[in-house]
Amino acid sequence: MHKRALGAAAVTGVAALALSACGGSSPTTPSDTGAAGSSKAATTTGVPETPSGTAAPVRDANVDLVIWTDADRSKAVQKYADQFAAENGVTVKVQISTDTRAQFKDATKVGKGPDVIVGAHDWLGELVQNSTVAPVNLSSDVAAKFLPKAIEATKFNGQSYGVPYAVENIGLMYNKDLVPNPPKTMDELVATGEKLVKEGKAKQVLSQFVSKVGNAYFAYPYLSAFPEGGIFAIKPNGDYDPNKVIVNTPDSIKGGDALAALGKKKVLSTNVDDTNQDALFDTKAAPFMISGPWSVAKAKEAGINYGIAPLPSLTGGGAMRPFLGVQMFYVSSKAKNAALAQEFVTNYIPRKDVQLALFEVGKRPPALKEAYAEVAASDPDVKAWYEAGIDGSPMPNIPAMNSVWGPFGQATADIIAGKAGAKERLDAAAKEITANIAKG
Amino acid sequence: MTKPIALAIKWVLIVATLAGILWIATKLAQAGNTTAVVIAGLVGMGILVVYATRRSVPLKYLVPGLIFMTLFQLWPVIYTASLSTTNYGDGHLYSKQESVTDIIAQSVREVPDTPRYKMSVATAEGGDPTTADLVLLLTKPDGSTYVGDKTGLKPLPATGVEKTPIGKITKAPGYTVLTAKQANARSKDLSAIAVPTSDGGGIKPVGLSEAFEGKATVTYDPAADKLTDTSTTPATVYEPKDARWVNVADPSQSFPQGWKEGVGLANYSRIFTDSTIRSGFLGIFIWNIAFAVLSVLTTFLLGMLIALLFNDPRLRGKSIYRSLLILPYALPFFVTALVWKGMFNQDYGIINQTLGLDVDWLGTTGGARAAILITNLWLGFPYMFIVCTGALQSIPQDVREAATIDGANAFRTLRSIIMPLLLVAVGPLLLASFAFNFNNFGLIYLLTKGGPFNGADTSIGSSDLLITYAYRLAFSGSAPNYGFAAAVSVIIFLLVALMSIPGFRRTKALEEVN
Repeated sequence: MHKRALGAAAVTGVAALALSACGGSSPTTPSDTGAAGSSKAATTTGVPETPSGTAAPVRDANVDLVIWTDADRSKAVQKYADQFAAENGVTVKVQISTDTRAQFKDATKVGKGPDVIVGAHDWLGELVQNSTVAPVNLSSDVAAKFLPKAIEATKFNGQSYGVPYAVENIGLMYNKDLVPNPPKTMDELVATGEKLVKEGKAKQVLSQFVSKVGNAYFAYPYLSAFPEGGIFAIKPNGDYDPNKVIVNTPDSIKGGDALAALGKKKVLSTNVDDTNQDALFDTKAAPFMISGPWSVAKAKEAGINYGIAPLPSLTGGGAMRPFLGVQMFYVSSKAKNAALAQEFVTNYIPRKDVQLALFEVGKRPPALKEAYAEVAASDPDVKAWYEAGIDGSPMPNIPAMNSVWGPFGQATADIIAGKAGAKERLDAAAKEITANIAKG
Repeated sequence: MTKPIALAIKWVLIVATLAGILWIATKLAQAGNTTAVVIAGLVGMGILVVYATRRSVPLKYLVPGLIFMTLFQLWPVIYTASLSTTNYGDGHLYSKQESVTDIIAQSVREVPDTPRYKMSVATAEGGDPTTADLVLLLTKPDGSTYVGDKTGLKPLPATGVEKTPIGKITKAPGYTVLTAKQANARSKDLSAIAVPTSDGGGIKPVGLSEAFEGKATVTYDPAADKLTDTSTTPATVYEPKDARWVNVADPSQSFPQGWKEGVGLANYSRIFTDSTIRSGFLGIFIWNIAFAVLSVLTTFLLGMLIALLFNDPRLRGKSIYRSLLILPYALPFFVTALVWKGMFNQDYGIINQTLGLDVDWLGTTGGARAAILITNLWLGFPYMFIVCTGALQSIPQDVREAATIDGANAFRTLRSIIMPLLLVAVGPLLLASFAFNFNNFGLIYLLTKGGPFNGADTSIGSSDLLITYAYRLAFSGSAPNYGFAAAVSVIIFLLVALMSIPGFRRTKALEEVN
């Protein structure tokens, strides 16, 4: 008993030490009197600050610019944050946030948020709705250096809210050892796949994330292959219109019929989800997989001789057009260092070397045309992903999209499982989505 | 001899506690929360009175518990209840005034066909960089230089002006250019600057080296309480309605930024009038109770049987078995749940593959419910095993011997002697387990997300518990609605409390066995 008490005391002591170490590290920089940007002030930690557990980072009050990002990108961001710090005689801190979207919103609400965050463009509607991000006014000649769709994605209600650095989308990954040339149409894909299954070289035709509750992101391209198919209609100003849900237009229903047909042939199955999607492709059970750049690393590790191609086209419609996701830098509307934050985002992120450094950590096509051109010349994967997304449209960034994921995803899962016909199920989904949006 | 030491320890502890409270109070004062500071002060005085004096001995034991109960039990309940009478949620976080300010700030657009200026932030020569009025030193693309302040734009004579290659002014006679750090410290003033121009716009800084001519397209009329957006023709007028700015001409359009306000009991009346809630509630409620009861029963029975088995003195190597059995309990619960999800997969799962079945576990109502109960049995029995083992060891051997001598067989001993004594100890734990499982959000969410969804309605899942159902209800709209979620939580709290009362009565009855 005595021994145990001692042990407990030791543990508490260590914990207390650890805590005090965390709390005591705040003034890493001399609280400089602001004497004309002395070089002394330009000392940053040089290493991104990693959080303990999944808690939100704690903002350091003595730093001139605080940036939150996820762990993957933190090193690249840190490098240029250091450069920015030295150039301007200020201190910059890069902190790793495990869930930037939620932690940023919550921390900003209580005045403890960062000045700049790195995140996806589809957070935008929610961030604007909660008054957490500030407009970022890029000059038109700088904006023209970016892919137009990437710039479009950073806008909400006609206002621009950040600077993009990468574009990502799904495409068709195929196993070159089994399929020398990628199929152009879904019929061709199914025929090739079924032949391989018959020959015993594969167990199933295609691996695509469906799951029991459906996945709207992966199901959307089947609807968008038809001209009037999709989720929301577009307003005159280019925004998606939450009052016009189009998941049950005749063209969308054609897409639903395609899902039903593929479900019937077992090409699509609700038993494939995020837990086994990659494994099916990487163990050569499926010669085709519809996925994004995030699946490449695993396929490489598994030694798969993979190729990347645009999504195939559907009979009676055109090519399947995926959603584009754009990664961007936001400036907080409650930023304590708004001037430096704007300066960093508008002057550093549009630089080619910054975009290239960020490319290295995520391998997604850069949003800056010049950077993309340089990468595409040497990296065929990036070129392939870019070309797979060339006809895509940005994922809706309006808050109403929150009402779509559940009902639309489930509708596609039910159609694939054959539980309901495409028309009746998509009609019901449209009704449900509209009702959810009306709830506000 | 020990007395002075005890006294010293007592005072050290009291002072440490008071210092802790003082520290919390200063933090609260910094946050500007006066009520909380007063409460912290009262608590501190209370502690001093209770522990520094010789009176009120019972309170000495009760105070820590009371404080923690208030902090971690009562306060959340009160807070949730008060939140449930507001519309607090995404788009309704701040006040109405803040929504107006934000909408106007976000409506600033670049005036078409105006130049971009290179900009430096400066003060008049000799001014204090922390307080003096700021001016903007501007360079047009053609190289001409200007000074802008709140009165307007004036040309800056080129003599003596030094510029960087891109045209940013670094030195100008009569002005002191601020460093990035100094200018950044004035961020608030900088964002307020708009050098007026002839066309009604203003030159505003972007960061620290660029400026553009912008114009707010939205104006607020406090007398009429209306917002007017002039970026459209004709101008669009917005009026306040349901805590949002709604377009007068087309009520389906509104600004995304609303504000927080009290809504009385509207959230509660929505719970009782919403047709999907009414139709789904009963089915979910019944399954919820069945799930909680079955979870407790199955885990308890399995845990108890194993505990009885291992309590037999003839069994060897008990400690190894015991450690192995605790493993499912020691593994992180979400990992276990996800592994089980994979095992239940119809095509690729190990359960169907080894048993040669083709059950769509997670895609049918019965299958999903069975899968949930099986997973919860795996997750929950080690806990019951631990508590039963502990309780069994405290049952005196002589009672059992007496039963054997009286001619009772093993089953009779178990039923009439061991079970009643066991239940005295584990009864309250079973109740706690029931309350926990009643709200077992994580398990459902990781395994089935409430699905499968039968019919064409994704608001009511066939394996939903009230808590997962409430979660979807509150967060499936375009914006998470915490006020509504709080109202549903209060209702669930009342339900669990009502159901627990008979349970606690029953455990009291059990205690009388002793």
